[in-house]
Amino acid sequence: MLQRLSFIPVRLIQAIPVVFGVTLVVFLMAHLLPGDPATAILGDKATPATIAALRTQLGLDQPIWNQYGLFVSHLFQGDLGTSFTYQRPVVEIVLAAIPVTLSLVAYSLTLALIIAIPLAAIAATAPNRGRDIVVRIYTLIGQGMPQFWVGIMLILILAVNLRLFPVGGYGNTALEHLYYLFLPALTLGIALTPTIIRSLRSSTIDVLGSEYVATARSKGSAGVTLFRHHVLRNAAIPTVSVIGVTMGYLVGGSIVIEKVFAIPGLGSLMLNSIFTRDFPTIQAVTLFVGLFVVGVGILTDLTYTLLDPRVNLTGSVRS
Amino acid sequence: MKRNHLYLPLVLFAASSLALSGCAPGATSQSGGDGAGGTPAAGGDLVITQAAGATSLNLTTVHDNPSIFTAQQIMEPLFTVSNDGKDAKPWLAKSYEVSADQLSYTIKLRDDVHFSSGAPMTAADVKFSIDQDTKTASSGGWGYINAAIKDVAVVDDTTIKVTANYPWTPLIADLAMFSNAIVPNNYGGKTADEFYQAPVGTGPFVFDTWKKGQTLTFAKNKNYWQAGKPYLDSVTWNVVPDVNTRKLQLQGSQADIVEAPDWSSFDSLGKTPGIATKAFESTAIDHVAFNQLRKPFADVHVRRAIAYAIDRQALVDAVLFGHGTPANSLLSPGTPYYDKDVKGPSLDLDKAKAEMAKSSVPKGFSTKLLISSGNTEKASNAQIIQSELKEIGIDVEITPLDPTAGRAAINAGDYDMTLTGWTMDIPDPDQWTTFAVDPAGGAKSDYTSYENPDVIKLNRDAQRETDPKVRADLYKQLQQKTGDDAFLAYLYYSPYGYAMRDTVKDFLVTPLGNYHLEDVYKTK
Repeated sequence: MLQRLSFIPVRLIQAIPVVFGVTLVVFLMAHLLPGDPATAILGDKATPATIAALRTQLGLDQPIWNQYGLFVSHLFQGDLGTSFTYQRPVVEIVLAAIPVTLSLVAYSLTLALIIAIPLAAIAATAPNRGRDIVVRIYTLIGQGMPQFWVGIMLILILAVNLRLFPVGGYGNTALEHLYYLFLPALTLGIALTPTIIRSLRSSTIDVLGSEYVATARSKGSAGVTLFRHHVLRNAAIPTVSVIGVTMGYLVGGSIVIEKVFAIPGLGSLMLNSIFTRDFPTIQAVTLFVGLFVVGVGILTDLTYTLLDPRVNLTGSVRS
Repeated sequence: MKRNHLYLPLVLFAASSLALSGCAPGATSQSGGDGAGGTPAAGGDLVITQAAGATSLNLTTVHDNPSIFTAQQIMEPLFTVSNDGKDAKPWLAKSYEVSADQLSYTIKLRDDVHFSSGAPMTAADVKFSIDQDTKTASSGGWGYINAAIKDVAVVDDTTIKVTANYPWTPLIADLAMFSNAIVPNNYGGKTADEFYQAPVGTGPFVFDTWKKGQTLTFAKNKNYWQAGKPYLDSVTWNVVPDVNTRKLQLQGSQADIVEAPDWSSFDSLGKTPGIATKAFESTAIDHVAFNQLRKPFADVHVRRAIAYAIDRQALVDAVLFGHGTPANSLLSPGTPYYDKDVKGPSLDLDKAKAEMAKSSVPKGFSTKLLISSGNTEKASNAQIIQSELKEIGIDVEITPLDPTAGRAAINAGDYDMTLTGWTMDIPDPDQWTTFAVDPAGGAKSDYTSYENPDVIKLNRDAQRETDPKVRADLYKQLQQKTGDDAFLAYLYYSPYGYAMRDTVKDFLVTPLGNYHLEDVYKTK
């Protein structure tokens, strides 16, 4: 078993240049954008003299490579710098936003799975018949609905008219977070379900037609028991891969949802940081998202390995 | 199995962030108030939602309105703007006297003012506060507003003497600037950075909690110098970037006041049961700016032709849905010395064509109009102007840039025409007129490179003239000449839009955009 997990350190080492590469590319992209933080902070009433003074104070008059070198050297000391906008340590600001977005992503995935697994099972057990067609129509509609529209509709119906949920925000306690994040998580979850249902339905149909399921049936296994013991685990493998890829997209998709629902997560932070050219914050958010995507990649591989003993990611050929 | 595709979302995240950064929230705010009268009731928590949140509570350096309007609830200046925006009235000051040579201002302070910490406000605090603001001139802060001030001296515990470098009529208005708000001497023993994390002032509220980018809460200052005020127990500003969500929060009673609802639904929102909308007079003016370093905009006939070709009422109707007035002057109606009788260029196609015929480009020309991306108001303005200028042979290409990139281009003089605007920070025209018409103001005449010696002289004379009637005449001439020169094509004056629950009473916004929450109360 341990030998099968030996790919993890290799993946981690491979991730280092990837993450640094991403921070370098984003650093250059951000600095290539016209307009600098001093211009953004001082706005329409600034004179060239006040802009120059602020640029000097923020260290923006230094050559760009010095600025990147400073960022990297501080990074090794665990210091991500000071936000130009808030004049607070970036770590403090990003650490406040990370749990918000991670909660939203995890919550969305949970809701998506709660919706998708039963629907995929219902569809797969009767391919091309009434209930399958209904589920497939749902996936088509689900894919066609823009997230911001779904979000506004959910707010109008469940928050404004029925007053069941708040119209945006994040709350203060853990329970409030669950309550406030329900509608945005459902919005993201609904967007995610068509992909999961399609993948799970297709693989479930394949598994249901396999010889080992026929054998299980001949032994009297049926219904939920058959699904739990023989179908779901095998059918889930391709879906795990789909979810792994989707997690990264979910973090990206959170930018729109966080704006609609006024959630103070990484998406909002990244967007505002770009508006204000808050380079240290842009760097920090990018660094975290890079680490997150790499981490999800490793987790996906790990899940594969655990679900299917035949999967070997160490590079050696299994006989 | 390949995993490289997993890094794709990373790139997409950065790319989508960059793309979405074009959706800039743009909001102005100004006065309101239901004028309900009645007996104010103590208690209650007020929730205000805004498109963007405060970034800093340091009023000497911060430039964004959300920060300024919130921090003003904690820290107050010696003078404040009157409700009509036309005057600076004593606030923490009791009275003042000006010497015959106009160089010395002796200011008596109120003796009943305490900081929220309980310590009395003294002249030493006032001197320290004004000096700390002045010092920020060298680091990008608002200190340049005090350029006329030579010295602030403590006379006694309740008197200070401000000496000017030269006669400077806007001095009291400058002291009413938010950046000259009074803080404890030496920041009460803290560093400036430590102090402004949770500042202490004489205002109606005290700092409570702040989740940056999310929510900021102030609690009632129990030591406030106005007896019985504030009425509210607390005020919370929530950041809600999406304009629809802001309105929905108001409808769902999750917010009491919403800043800058969109004009397209402003009237219908006001008809919703339990909700009132208010459009407060502002100092906001929108205009087209011409870069006179680029041909053919150094030609006054070209600028005039454009100014005559624009149908301002059409812009007000289509873009502000009727909530505004066509602009006739460099100054706005909420600014002192605004003259409604000044004849700024207004729609007259015959005159526009005649000016084009007299210009260096009688057969027309092609040009670019720079606008902020993500700003629907500016995009609509640009499209209407584009179509109107076609009538006089000017082919306009609209070039949207994100707000910071656009501002950088304007500051660098890298534009032909652009849509910009202005709001005042002090109750005196000088802040804007010096920025707009005097190259010595440091901003290249609002980055247009406009330079008319007569106008510059009028502006400088007005800075030193103490007789209000003479000053009014100087500003009248300045408004007429700048209109004739059409260095900007004035578009319209827009109010500050607010929507609120009808339980909110006495909410009033001044033409400078600030509000006095000590007067606000809520009914059940």
